[in-house]
Amino acid sequence: MGRFILRRMLFVVPSLLGLLVLTFVMLRVLPNDPSAALAGENATPAQIAAVRTAYGFDQPIWKQFAVYLKQVVHADLGTSIVTGRPVVADIALRLPATIELTFCALLFASAMGIPIGTLAAVWHNSVFDHAMRIVTVGGLAIAAFWFAIILQLVFSMSLDWLPLRGRISVGMPEPAPVTRLLLVDSLLAGRLGVFRDALLHLVMPALTLSLGGLASIARFTRAGVLDTLQKDFVGYAEAAGYRRSRIIWVYVLRNSVVAATTQIGLLFGALISSAVAVESIFDWPGIGSYAVKAILTSDYKAILAVTLVVGVIYAIVNIVVDIVHALLDPRVAESL
Amino acid sequence: MQRRLFLVGSLAAATASHMGGFRMARAQGRPGELVWADNLPGGLDPHVIFDVPMQFYMLNIYDQLYKYEGNPPELKPWLASGHTVSPDGRTWTFNLRDAKFHDGSPVTAEDVVYSFRRMLATKRGPSAAFLPVLPPEKVKAVDAKTVQFELDYAYQPFLSAMPLVCIMNPRLLKANEKDGDWGQPWLASNAAGSGPYMLDAASYKPAEALDMKRYESHFMGWTHNPRPIDIVRCRDIQETTTRVNALLRGDIDATDSYLPTDQVERVLRAKNVRVIKDETMRVMVIRMNNKKPPFDNVNFRRAMSHAFNYRGFISGVLKDYAVRNAGPIPQNLWGAPKDLKPYEYNLDLAREELAQAKAQGAPIDREIEIHIQQQLAQTTQAAQVLQQDLRKLNVNLKIAPNLWPNLVSSTAKPETTPDMWVHWVSTYFVDPENWIGQMYDSQFHGTWKASSWYKNAKVDQLLREARSSSDQAKRQALYEEASRIVVADAADIWIYNTVQIRGISARVEGYKFSPVGSGAEFRYMSLAS
Repeated sequence: MGRFILRRMLFVVPSLLGLLVLTFVMLRVLPNDPSAALAGENATPAQIAAVRTAYGFDQPIWKQFAVYLKQVVHADLGTSIVTGRPVVADIALRLPATIELTFCALLFASAMGIPIGTLAAVWHNSVFDHAMRIVTVGGLAIAAFWFAIILQLVFSMSLDWLPLRGRISVGMPEPAPVTRLLLVDSLLAGRLGVFRDALLHLVMPALTLSLGGLASIARFTRAGVLDTLQKDFVGYAEAAGYRRSRIIWVYVLRNSVVAATTQIGLLFGALISSAVAVESIFDWPGIGSYAVKAILTSDYKAILAVTLVVGVIYAIVNIVVDIVHALLDPRVAESL
Repeated sequence: MQRRLFLVGSLAAATASHMGGFRMARAQGRPGELVWADNLPGGLDPHVIFDVPMQFYMLNIYDQLYKYEGNPPELKPWLASGHTVSPDGRTWTFNLRDAKFHDGSPVTAEDVVYSFRRMLATKRGPSAAFLPVLPPEKVKAVDAKTVQFELDYAYQPFLSAMPLVCIMNPRLLKANEKDGDWGQPWLASNAAGSGPYMLDAASYKPAEALDMKRYESHFMGWTHNPRPIDIVRCRDIQETTTRVNALLRGDIDATDSYLPTDQVERVLRAKNVRVIKDETMRVMVIRMNNKKPPFDNVNFRRAMSHAFNYRGFISGVLKDYAVRNAGPIPQNLWGAPKDLKPYEYNLDLAREELAQAKAQGAPIDREIEIHIQQQLAQTTQAAQVLQQDLRKLNVNLKIAPNLWPNLVSSTAKPETTPDMWVHWVSTYFVDPENWIGQMYDSQFHGTWKASSWYKNAKVDQLLREARSSSDQAKRQALYEEASRIVVADAADIWIYNTVQIRGISARVEGYKFSPVGSGAEFRYMSLAS
């Protein structure tokens, strides 16, 4: 198992390098010269040229990449041309918000999706199954930004149950940053008021983000359970007199969720990248809204950094999914 | 995407308001605290960043030698008690008042010298206005309270550009300097000013949040405002729909000042909030690349100028929250001729001009391209209005989405500059130089402001003369003459001067608008209890 993890991690390095090369080339081949943005709105051509030389944009692209790579190896993602701060510092502020949001969305999606999928399989072709199909297809098709605005109008503007935007109420002092996950930090600091406030702020964005995930988890679980129900051991267990609920929720489900686990892992990465719209509408200070700003302002160091960070998350999640697979299904562990 | 959001947002809003309206019981913000939800500047170093939101930050956290007040803006001595200028217009001497930085140390002439040298050394931000005329070593402290500037040549807009330069505390910056970087990385998230408000650096999250506390020992004192606001919390909200919802809900006290017209109606209908409208100095213009055929033909450019439906755009799209502007200088600023006739929308005239252009051999049949700024819906709308009418004239206009940084770099050369593109020229400093001077003097070719590549020796000469003269009446006459020529040459299509619209909570009192800083000067404001 240890060797397996090590091998998987070694594979990650070339994929991340490939990702960086691709993003770097794409950003710099486009007719997009950051010097103009850097020099400011009233800059003269001479000023822009000076900036170009100062930042090395007049160097050949491979040379620029070599310089950048050297920085990255030293865990330095450069300075944002917009905020003037180290990109690492800006991402450190924003990534935890996205992780918290994505994690909660996924938790919700799994907690709802797996039981719904299982029930749909057990009662397949029933009214429930058809209803679930409509809801999940809808969930996949529904536009997140539309759903988000409707949630805001109903629960925030009309009913006044939930906060409209942001991660914490304006003016509420934040707990000391330990993990920068507000839910965790507020509990660590023993500040239940902040915990409650942060949780309320999370509800609508997490619900919106979970929509697509919920649908696909439910569908994968349904397919998995349906498949397992045909297996001989199910008949054996029934013949042996096990309770139906135990057979389904313990034996069948454990044998069926492997596919869903892979799906959940992939979803984590996908949700992080699709958090962009949700973060914008709910003003969630995460990495999605940061990426949008970076693109609009040609802040190429920030764009590269976000790509790299999302790439690393994908890689980590993939490894974790493999490990979870092995834990869920000993046969997988043996074949490693 | 954003435009789609607006549409969906307003649709949904309309539905919801029919569902029984919003409950507005919540108190606005916390007592004594103002929540200001305008855009935040890109970074916090005003010598490096020079965008529109930076002006509001500069006004509150820093002081400058001179400052603009009111609408139309008037230049007033601020940290300086006044100035003198030598007869040749090259030596400028400023006397300082007694003022203290936020750490309690006095503001001295040496600090002013340091600040100007630092600003010039960054080669970014506002330095563009000074680099051509002011060598760093020509800024000198005559004594503790007197600063002298010696310009390379007489340059009258020098004084108008004074409010661009924040005076900084060198002791703080030097303590945080590394390898001669002038403390730039440090100042990107900190402040070193003397302004009426102090930055709470711990609260700063880029593009998200920034808190300010009142500086009680500000040199201007607080006698003008019996109930000043002690804490201002600035929050950047990305989506306009969310911003307006937050205002209606009482979460924030003010939106940005570019409220889209469909959202204005929502604010007008709601209680406890109001809409503030002020004509500013920000001209919308469709640029034409005068060096690319057929745009090198004056008749073709005039045809384009007659083909834009000005009234349709201003009334239909902007619901009349804009003022038609005949030329490049905002019509509410001196130097804009009062009798200048704007181009009228008239397709018959456009056809005549087109026929003349064709007779002169202009390639009027080629497809032309207009570049819009993707995240600014109005630039698309303007392009679509033009496209529709050009179709009737058999001119094929293609709309190409683009982004500001790309557009700026493409304007470095005539070959890469788009046929047409849409943007605004905002108030960086209040002088015709900011508009007509930098837009149509050919010495600025290669900058985005001069991206029409217009060249007219007479105009060049008029603008250069206006720049160096110290006689205001003479300058006005020169700018007026230059405006008439540029408009007759149809160098660009000038559309309107902006009316800024801000949604603001009814509890905010003392709001004073000025085109510089868009009215976000907190020292005047108070909160009704």
